[in-house]
Amino acid sequence: MNPDWLSYGPLMLRAAGLTLWLSWLAMLIGALGGTGIAFLRTSRFRGLRLLALLYTEFFRSVPILIVMFFCYFGVPLVFGFDVSSFAAATIALALHASSTMSEVVRAGIESVGRGQWEAAQAAGMDRVQVMRYIIGPQAIRVVLPPSVGVFITTLKESSLASIIGFIELTKTGLLVRESTDGGLVPLLALAALYFIINYAISLVGGRLERRFHIGSRSDLVGAMG
Amino acid sequence: MSPVLTLDGVVKRFGARTILDGISMDVSPGEIVCFVGPSGTGKSTLLRCVNGLEALQGGRIIFEGRNVHESARSIADVRKRVGMIFQHFNLYPHLTALENVMLAPVIVHKEAKPAVEERARALFDKVRLSHRINAYPAQLSGGEQQRVAIARALAANPHLLMFDEPTSALDPETVGDVLAVMRDLAEEGRTMLVVTHEIRFAVDVGTRMVFMDQGKIVEDSDPKEMLANARTDRARQFLSSIRG
Amino acid sequence: MGYTFTLRTIYPYLGELGHAAWLTLSLSLLSIGLSLIVGAGVAVLRRSRSRLLRALGTAYVEVMRNTPLLVILYIIYFAGPGLGLRLSSFAAAVIGLSLNSAGYMAEILRAGLIAISAGQFEAADAQGFSRLQTFRYIIFPQVFRTIYAPLGNQIIAVILASSLASAVAVDEVTAWMQTTGSTSFRFFETFVVAAIVYLVLCQLVNLGRLALGRLLFRQGESLR
Repeated sequence: MNPDWLSYGPLMLRAAGLTLWLSWLAMLIGALGGTGIAFLRTSRFRGLRLLALLYTEFFRSVPILIVMFFCYFGVPLVFGFDVSSFAAATIALALHASSTMSEVVRAGIESVGRGQWEAAQAAGMDRVQVMRYIIGPQAIRVVLPPSVGVFITTLKESSLASIIGFIELTKTGLLVRESTDGGLVPLLALAALYFIINYAISLVGGRLERRFHIGSRSDLVGAMG
Repeated sequence: MSPVLTLDGVVKRFGARTILDGISMDVSPGEIVCFVGPSGTGKSTLLRCVNGLEALQGGRIIFEGRNVHESARSIADVRKRVGMIFQHFNLYPHLTALENVMLAPVIVHKEAKPAVEERARALFDKVRLSHRINAYPAQLSGGEQQRVAIARALAANPHLLMFDEPTSALDPETVGDVLAVMRDLAEEGRTMLVVTHEIRFAVDVGTRMVFMDQGKIVEDSDPKEMLANARTDRARQFLSSIRG
Repeated sequence: MGYTFTLRTIYPYLGELGHAAWLTLSLSLLSIGLSLIVGAGVAVLRRSRSRLLRALGTAYVEVMRNTPLLVILYIIYFAGPGLGLRLSSFAAAVIGLSLNSAGYMAEILRAGLIAISAGQFEAADAQGFSRLQTFRYIIFPQVFRTIYAPLGNQIIAVILASSLASAVAVDEVTAWMQTTGSTSFRFFETFVVAAIVYLVLCQLVNLGRLALGRLLFRQGESLR
């Protein structure tokens, strides 16, 4: 029996879109959160710095899967309100992305030489203005290439959402496999789709790197996902 | 006395380019042969052919009666008796100066450690670096590193020493230190091949100067003679351009 | 809010946690070892003179970096019977984890090798060291220093990635959290306990790496 594989094409592509949407949302929240954490890490107050450090160290030492499980199963139990699998996945992904991004953003800010701060402050700008007009734009050039790596990692991690029942690309592939009586084709198609999407994104990241003449800090974003 | 080293029609090509175009010469024991000439004319390549770092496309090299490139075994044997000093020192960064000097005698020549250590310490005395034997290369100046490299080459009791632009990568102040060590070695009667731009050294210490251009030996005579009275135009041009 | 955090409620399940932690540990250690070997092979491929072999090595690394580990695990888990092999869940998980991690190991090793200057090989050759001797006394010590820190990070990454083995029926720590959580309805407690197990494992690796580093590298270099 040879199922008509191509008929599942549109289904898989829609699911891929859902995966991209989930990853993008988590990445956005993660980037914003990560920037906030980065500011805490460089704050003048020891307590805030410690808090941010604990946050980052926690999410770097714990698998994202158990965070996702807790968000989906634990939170409703503990706090009483329901959490959809989509929400749980997004939150877990965002939390992890934010801890990696906080390191990326921190490195970006620190990469802008002290001289820039001093020159801007000497010209009379306050801390917010310095960040907004001088440091920020320069830091972004350093932050962008590794962020692409974080996005790819988030995309790979989004496959874990299938375990808590969210019907993204991996879950769809598994369902197709079930309804076609098992077999490797749907799984290989899954792998191929993920590969194509991620490889294409990494090429964009490569171009960004060359454009900004900055090498990426690959030691930060080597998560296995 | 039979020559230590004989080059017989040596040809070396890199792809389509011929770097050594039929080099023939003999080197007798105790000679200090200095190779000079414009950059890229194959002087360094010549040295590297002698100890098998480069293969030949034609001709042969005979070292102490043995054809160097005959087999892997012959190359290995030659390397045990020929010491090489590089332009960029190439010390092993993860070992101290003393360990750098001791490694090959212990591992390659399989000598006993205590004897090697004694010899190594004596060599450090000779190159005047006894106070730095436990330093790592990163902690040494260029001139110091090169002197350690010389000690390292000497530790294997070589019959021939080859220097590939030993002072080209050094600060002017430290060049003198290294040349002084090389002068001492020459006075001991060692056989040395030196590729260099230091014409004064060649004239003061060298027993023979070989001028190479475009892969060929153009002139080969006493250094003082060649400097005062070069027989070929090209040699004369080159030497006067350096002095000027 | 009606939910009080009481660790006591999961005490009966801590015995199983011990077994689960052992599975996590053995899964991780086996995978780290295997992935180092495979990764070394891939790194050698990428330095080969043959264009085809280099491309093969690069393709391997790219596939592992861009495909989710979960998908790779599923493929191996479900492909086993198809190929006539009867793979246990544990074996499938080890294979999947190792193959995936090998891609990252290859990159780490490649970076270490590239850092060695060509002059090192020349000096070793000129002194008469054999290929094996050159590798053992000159190249390996230098490579090891360079890859030491990234290697430590990769070990931690494998420990965390082992949590995905729960998806292919291995009863390691993450599976324990799920099972115990659903039978006892104490998801908060199981989460905290599971998190602590992983935290301890990761921090042990970190501290071990720093301590070992101070022992091995006499120059006292900073290895962060």
